[in-house]
Amino acid sequence: MAGLRGEVSWFCCGNAWGPCGSAGHGACGTCNSGSWQHAWTNTSDACFAITRPDRCGITGVSRRTCGFRHATTNLCNGARVVTTIADCGPQTDLFCGERACCGGTCASNRVIDLTPAAFSAIGSLNAGLIPCNVEAG
Amino acid sequence: MTNTLDRRTLLTSAVLGTTATLVGATAMGSLAPETAFAARAQSPEPGAPDPNFAEGRVTARDGSMILAAGSDGRFHRIQLTGGTSVWKLRPTTLDQVKVGDGLYARGVLMPDGTLAAESIWVNIVNLKVHVTAIGKNVLHLDHNGSRIVGHVVPGTSAAVYNGKPAVSDLSMVKVGKHAQVIGAWRPDTNEIDVATIYAAA
Repeated sequence: MAGLRGEVSWFCCGNAWGPCGSAGHGACGTCNSGSWQHAWTNTSDACFAITRPDRCGITGVSRRTCGFRHATTNLCNGARVVTTIADCGPQTDLFCGERACCGGTCASNRVIDLTPAAFSAIGSLNAGLIPCNVEAG
Repeated sequence: MTNTLDRRTLLTSAVLGTTATLVGATAMGSLAPETAFAARAQSPEPGAPDPNFAEGRVTARDGSMILAAGSDGRFHRIQLTGGTSVWKLRPTTLDQVKVGDGLYARGVLMPDGTLAAESIWVNIVNLKVHVTAIGKNVLHLDHNGSRIVGHVVPGTSAAVYNGKPAVSDLSMVKVGKHAQVIGAWRPDTNEIDVATIYAAA
């Protein structure tokens, strides 16, 4: 898989407080907000049927399973974090065409979700959504 | 992240006693320099817990020291300094961190187990939602089958439509559409205050 350019956000998983309290440990059963992990759109046929990045024109998202490593680079500041697959997501097709920008740098469509620990290593949690590049880590 | 590294350098300087302007940092001044720099170099393996990150709920506060009960059963001691940035619906001050709040914190794990906080996000939630109804200064949201009440805070809440710059006008948020909400949870309720809502126009 060549580098995939798109948007990155964050999600909570594992034991948590507030609205995240019922999040569970994700599709792989290992997901925790405090670990360097991520959700991937194509962990299985069932996962891909939910996320459907192809509906947003994103083709060639490789099938990758639990524990596979991806490196996510924040295009706003160049910070990079390597994480492992722990869940299925994001649900790309709900936000087709959406863009995230910083300065003159933009990227479209959600391609990866990081845990709070991983996202906060490359950006501020309150930023919510940032343009990124993803490659095998 | 340039910003984080700068903040981390600042914190480390505070720990080492070379930055006289950081109020409260002297609480960690007894730590050896080599230990502080070793902490800076820590980087967890992919998939592993991040020792420089904490989450949980605030159980006690003693001045600049916060005690938090992690959702995984661990306890965290989090040291706030003059260099700690705090977000609670908006960038705010250290005194706004209260007992009962939920938090995520990033910083430097010190040898005594204290996390010297660079950044702390209080009650922050990031919810993918379905907008079910809209009222005056309130959004009714469905989040994975749970009902969430989103309060619009005049002067603070903003909307981002398709990656365009944030605006205060939330009128283009539509019932029946999906959206993403960054907000601040009101502890022990199903209510949040909306910081930013990302939606299609």
